[in-house]
Amino acid sequence: MFTPGRLVAVMIATATVLTACGDDGDAAAGTELTLWHYESPDSAMGVAWNKAIEEFERTHDGVTVKFEEKGFEQIQKSAQMVLNSDEAPDLLEYNKGNATAGLLSKQGLLTDLSDVVTERGWDDKLSPSVQTTCKYDERGVMGGDRWFGVPNYAEYTMVYYNKDLFDQHGVAVPTSLDELTAAMDTFVDKGVTPLSVGAKEYPAQQILYQLALSKADSDWVRGFQQYDGEVDFHDQAWTYGAETFADWVEKGYLSQDSTGIDAESMGVAFMEGKFPMMISGSWWYGRVQSTVKDFAWDTFLFPGSDLALGSSGNLWVVPENSPNKELAYDFIDITMQPDIQALLGNSGGIPVAADVSAITDEPSRKLVENYQTLVERDGLGYYPDWPVPGYYDVLVSATQKLISGSASPHEVLGELAGPYEENLATIGS
Amino acid sequence: MSLRRGLVLGVLVVLAVVMLFPFLLVLLNALKSPADYTANGPLGLPESLYLQGIVDFWERVDFGLKLTNSTVIAGSVSVLAVLVSILTAYALGIGRVRGRVWIVAVFLLANLMPQEALVYPLYFLAKEADLYDTKLAVIIIFTAVQSAFGTYLLSSVLSTFPRELVEAARIDGAGRWQILWRVVVPICWPTLSVLLVFFFIWTWNEFFIPMIMLVSNDNQTVPVALGVLQGQRLMDATAQSASALLGILPAVVFFLIFQRTLTRGIAVGAIK
Repeated sequence: MFTPGRLVAVMIATATVLTACGDDGDAAAGTELTLWHYESPDSAMGVAWNKAIEEFERTHDGVTVKFEEKGFEQIQKSAQMVLNSDEAPDLLEYNKGNATAGLLSKQGLLTDLSDVVTERGWDDKLSPSVQTTCKYDERGVMGGDRWFGVPNYAEYTMVYYNKDLFDQHGVAVPTSLDELTAAMDTFVDKGVTPLSVGAKEYPAQQILYQLALSKADSDWVRGFQQYDGEVDFHDQAWTYGAETFADWVEKGYLSQDSTGIDAESMGVAFMEGKFPMMISGSWWYGRVQSTVKDFAWDTFLFPGSDLALGSSGNLWVVPENSPNKELAYDFIDITMQPDIQALLGNSGGIPVAADVSAITDEPSRKLVENYQTLVERDGLGYYPDWPVPGYYDVLVSATQKLISGSASPHEVLGELAGPYEENLATIGS
Repeated sequence: MSLRRGLVLGVLVVLAVVMLFPFLLVLLNALKSPADYTANGPLGLPESLYLQGIVDFWERVDFGLKLTNSTVIAGSVSVLAVLVSILTAYALGIGRVRGRVWIVAVFLLANLMPQEALVYPLYFLAKEADLYDTKLAVIIIFTAVQSAFGTYLLSSVLSTFPRELVEAARIDGAGRWQILWRVVVPICWPTLSVLLVFFFIWTWNEFFIPMIMLVSNDNQTVPVALGVLQGQRLMDATAQSASALLGILPAVVFFLIFQRTLTRGIAVGAIK
């Protein structure tokens, strides 16, 4: 039974336990590399990086890798605090962009890698549009002059399509925007909604941005993403994007119900074979590949557009407080080697520095080839929510209004312009 | 009469189903293979019992260690917070300290403030005190937060405590310390035991502060470990259900076990 006397005894016992768990010793510098990332063990990056850890321990006698798998949210929310303490890891995966890696670089929490990058030749392996997200200026804006991160993989958006439904309705793979529109008309005529869209999260805004990109060039992207030149939300590209998007809704290419659908449900609906097409990113590729068994599927780049959404993947960053920077550089170097890059590619990821001929897995090679086509024409357009903190929610609300028809395309563009201009005024301050 | 009872029963059954539905959904999906989930959706019954998701998750995050961490933290917090609450509430409720309403109000601030607002000060304090990334830091923080609520509740309970009992004990020659432990605590035991259970479960479920304060995986608690599965853009519904099941179970088990023991404790206290 519990009695007050016993309670006191329990408390004393607890207090003893407490004093015992207060301390944990720090590992000696030079013999342990602490590494954090948030990729699941069976993802392409997880597989490749596990191999890299083995390789690192093989080539570094007496050094062990202390790998800790973290949650995405945990790193997002606590990185700034952790990196500012002596609990900082030696090397971690971190989200690229102005509000994340850019912010930390501005606060002096990340090591400037510029010298190491040239010394080890990583810059030769990375294409210019991938390098943009690795380099930040003193305002923490990407595309700057100093290197703060190195990516291993890339991502881009494409059109996933259900071959069986295409054959059944006599539709060929479109090679221009007109053909895509014609294909979608065919599906609508037969009572099939062509696009699986989730407008509750990122997918709808990515379609809007993709449509704008189809009338834009890389200067336009630089202007919008790097605050480099005038940005006019009622210019030809944005106007075309918003009007076409509204037009697509009106013609029934995407369902009005999609305002209540999240990204997960969008993907699941496509994988269940309910929709002929889904416009989304390479992050779905591995999952579609392992899940879809009942129909044939493939992908194509968004037709009639030189640019597509996409960027480097997340970055390896080295905290300024890391005691083992040289070991961290060695590890990054291993992940950039051809064998690890090829393994990443063969596991369904998009390596940034691989030789396509080393990718033996047929569907993976297609994915990498399409990526290289994009990179060769400098076709990575990044993401619409990057330039402004909190822009994601503005874009979700704007596209939902376009879908429900509660605002005209020009009103919606006006809504996008407001926060963008407010933010522009505060950049670097 | 029996019609009315039937009606009440019917309403209660519906309510119970509504309450239990999320748990059922978690249970259902935790025992499904990912392929089964995509083929039949979240509501379909599992085609076959699939335990691999639970096993994989257990090994991936070293769940046994997380259970120990959570138990040590939640256990210490619940005991310490009840102890602190008793002492403060004794002073406020029975001792009738001057300005007690304001004191209680200040205590409650700890509970009412969003944890996001507390995080930076706590982080700097923990760093200064060399307690950052230790379980002790989280225990101290939650002992303060929970005992703030405990003080508020217990002091209002104790302000209605029969004065005659206190007077009688004092006439019999008991000091303040003896009155507290021999008279007040045994009579309040039911309230204290309920507080203990609540503190344990609340602390167990805390996510934000443990996530910020416990940096290394060796110190992490169960809810933080569950966060590992939440990817940047994708989620794995079956693995997440498996982890959610593992995350809920200990708190439910704790509640069931201690509910029994504590009720028995209440009965014993009453006879005395």
